[in-house]
Amino acid sequence: MRCARPYPQMMLLRVRAYALALLAVLVCCAASACFATAAPACAWGDEAGESAAAPGEVAALDTSYVPDNVEFLSEGAARFEGVPFGISAFERIAKGTQRAGEGMPAGYRIPIQADANFAVVRTPEQALVYVDQGAAGLKDSGLTSTPEHASAFWSMVLTLDEAGSMSGPTLTEEAPKPLLCTRSTVVVGPYRYRFDAEDADGNRYVTVTPAALAEHELTPDMIRATGLDLGDGARWVDSGIVVPATGLAGPASQSALDQALSFVASIDMRPLWVSLKTGVVALAISFVLGLLAAWRVMGTSSRLKGVLDSVFTIPMVLPPTVCGFLLLMLFGNSTAMGRWLVEHGIEVVFTWQAAVIAAVVVSFPLVYRTALGAFEGLDASMLDAARTLGWSEWRIFRFITLPLAWPSIAAGTVLAFARAMGEFGCTLFFAGNYAGITQTIPIAIYFEWMGGNTDVALFWVVVVIAFSFLVVLGINSYTARQQAYRTGAPARARRGGAARKRDAAPSARPLDEIDAMGGDAVRIDQRALAELLAESGADGNGGA
Amino acid sequence: MNMHAFSRKGLVMLGASVLLAGALTGCGAGAATSGSGSASGASSQAEPVELQVFAANSLEKALPEVQKLYTEQTGVTFTDTQFKASGDLVEQMRAGAPVDVLITASKGTMDDAAAGELVDESTRLDMFNNDLVVARAEGSDIKIESLADVANVDGKIAIGDAITVPAGKYANQALHSVGLYTGAEGDDGEYAPEFAGRVALADKVGTAAKYVSTGDAAIGFVYSSDIFRYEGIEQAFVCPDDSHKPIVYPGAVSASSKHAKAAQDFLDFCMNNAEAQKIWATYGFELAE
Repeated sequence: MRCARPYPQMMLLRVRAYALALLAVLVCCAASACFATAAPACAWGDEAGESAAAPGEVAALDTSYVPDNVEFLSEGAARFEGVPFGISAFERIAKGTQRAGEGMPAGYRIPIQADANFAVVRTPEQALVYVDQGAAGLKDSGLTSTPEHASAFWSMVLTLDEAGSMSGPTLTEEAPKPLLCTRSTVVVGPYRYRFDAEDADGNRYVTVTPAALAEHELTPDMIRATGLDLGDGARWVDSGIVVPATGLAGPASQSALDQALSFVASIDMRPLWVSLKTGVVALAISFVLGLLAAWRVMGTSSRLKGVLDSVFTIPMVLPPTVCGFLLLMLFGNSTAMGRWLVEHGIEVVFTWQAAVIAAVVVSFPLVYRTALGAFEGLDASMLDAARTLGWSEWRIFRFITLPLAWPSIAAGTVLAFARAMGEFGCTLFFAGNYAGITQTIPIAIYFEWMGGNTDVALFWVVVVIAFSFLVVLGINSYTARQQAYRTGAPARARRGGAARKRDAAPSARPLDEIDAMGGDAVRIDQRALAELLAESGADGNGGA
Repeated sequence: MNMHAFSRKGLVMLGASVLLAGALTGCGAGAATSGSGSASGASSQAEPVELQVFAANSLEKALPEVQKLYTEQTGVTFTDTQFKASGDLVEQMRAGAPVDVLITASKGTMDDAAAGELVDESTRLDMFNNDLVVARAEGSDIKIESLADVANVDGKIAIGDAITVPAGKYANQALHSVGLYTGAEGDDGEYAPEFAGRVALADKVGTAAKYVSTGDAAIGFVYSSDIFRYEGIEQAFVCPDDSHKPIVYPGAVSASSKHAKAAQDFLDFCMNNAEAQKIWATYGFELAE
């Protein structure tokens, strides 16, 4: 087996620079390997006194946790007030593997970074601290020699461990006894821990092997035979680099704005583009189709009208999932109709086009309903008057019906756009959730929230609210300006303004406005109409 | 302002919006065409390979990081990876979704995929081990000393829907061991009557974790890796290994994959790259032996 290589060889790479250290470690290693079969190199109970009595192997680290003096720097780095060293490149690894590694003996291994000079293993009972004493910058720091320094080190580890815990258990809350290992292998209970294992590619690991078996002869079968779950031996492993405090960059003094900017920069903006693209295209289609449908329906007989009206309106009443289901039936591979469409090259399910279709289906009725309502609210005699002047139906629609009904249509269009942008159920059903393709903002909100990214979900919620607000505001002010011509005499405008001011609830304003203008359309004065017709007529004649 | 000007303006706006819509549709169609073009033409070596991965929901945080690493190292890119309940993924594949790599959270779901000839059986390998845990909201004072204690918890218990969510199936097997579920398989029984009313079924294991983190459920059955994936939940109890079937994540190359070689390479990378292993380990996934 490739994993059965002689073990000390692996260490050569790591400690080559420190010939003395290498010698010492080799001795230790050999010693522990020899002892391992006969008796554990060092076995101790929970009592710190006992372990302290094993000089040169492990010693209780005399520490107190002083979190207030720890200066937490970004990216797994920390300093401690008044000590000459700090920690950088801190990592917390939750699991290891028993999988065979190139040049590794069998056993459980937890990866740590190649240049880590300390590691902390959380065993079932204690926390084993291994510090590579030969590491640069540590020689003179007296890292573990004085209680002050030991406490500083341990406080930094606890702080960083908690910061990197990702809701897992922490050293702080479990407060295990820190034990300093001065050799690269120690035995605790049934487990042997090695802190300096390295595979053929130079990747470093902390390994856990059964203490009762010689390390370099281990095979997976032997481990299974012990019945020992080696993964239980190391609940998690922290590692990092102790560096001179001067080498650490100061705390990243990010202003709130910088933080906000970097947060926004980290967000995948594609849902916004997908939403805008889908919304605009769907709106353009709904707008044209809705107006045409309303115009045609208006002119049809009452019986047919009832049927058409129901058909055009029903997507608004149906739950979006039903629309999605029906669309999936229509275009999907599961029905004859769908298969026929797919055969003829119309393959839209789970594509961007599907998102547009879904948005059109749900937004169309809004344009249609509001347009129809506005058209029907017009004075039929006005249209008849235009007909007597010989206008074509299209011209009447274009120059009388549409302009007079515009306020309602604009309102309907805004609603339709909001509906298209906010479409969720039908889109999810029919177009799925593919980031950058069909993942619109509403779908992103749902999946980000479900995926635990509440802050991203919140960001999109804010974006949607702000965007909707701006769109509605913009369209309202546009309509108000466009309608200014109809207020006619300045007196009416003033009256309207006064009426608006009297209105205590500003939120009710858009509705009031629509209502007022819809009313305007009906009450339009005959003089203005006559002028209008005369003018358009004159233009038309001039053009002809 | 006279009406004519308004109308003309309206017409221009209408025209502009139609043009814009046309342009956007054109873009969309163009992108779609180029996308399918690259997919079909990828057999030549020069074309960049894009892999579609379907992965168990619990891999939602770890896998993208490994994929990013893989893209940096090899240039192989990934289309939007789908993280759903394993059963849903298999159903989606059955419905014809194009997939290159499938990673599920149970042997059973992979067996389904293999039985449906959706994956290449020869490429199948066990990728990860995981533990089933009972999660509670962070700082909650709920104490669970044994599985039987689950019945005494005040509040809802979030469990994945066993039909599609492997974590739910494992949870039901564990509950069966203490008589709270009638089926030994985990998806063939009923919850005990006094218990059933408090079970909140989730459509994927992440949803169960979410229910717990938001307080909608007092406890939930999730994987130990989910604790790292979601904020606001912590481990209350680890279900004994003998209370449920071993939790193994099998991976395989899809039978319909157009990039079977690239897919296989990615699976190998997941299993053997030291940096990838570190990512798995950070998120609490133990590589299988």
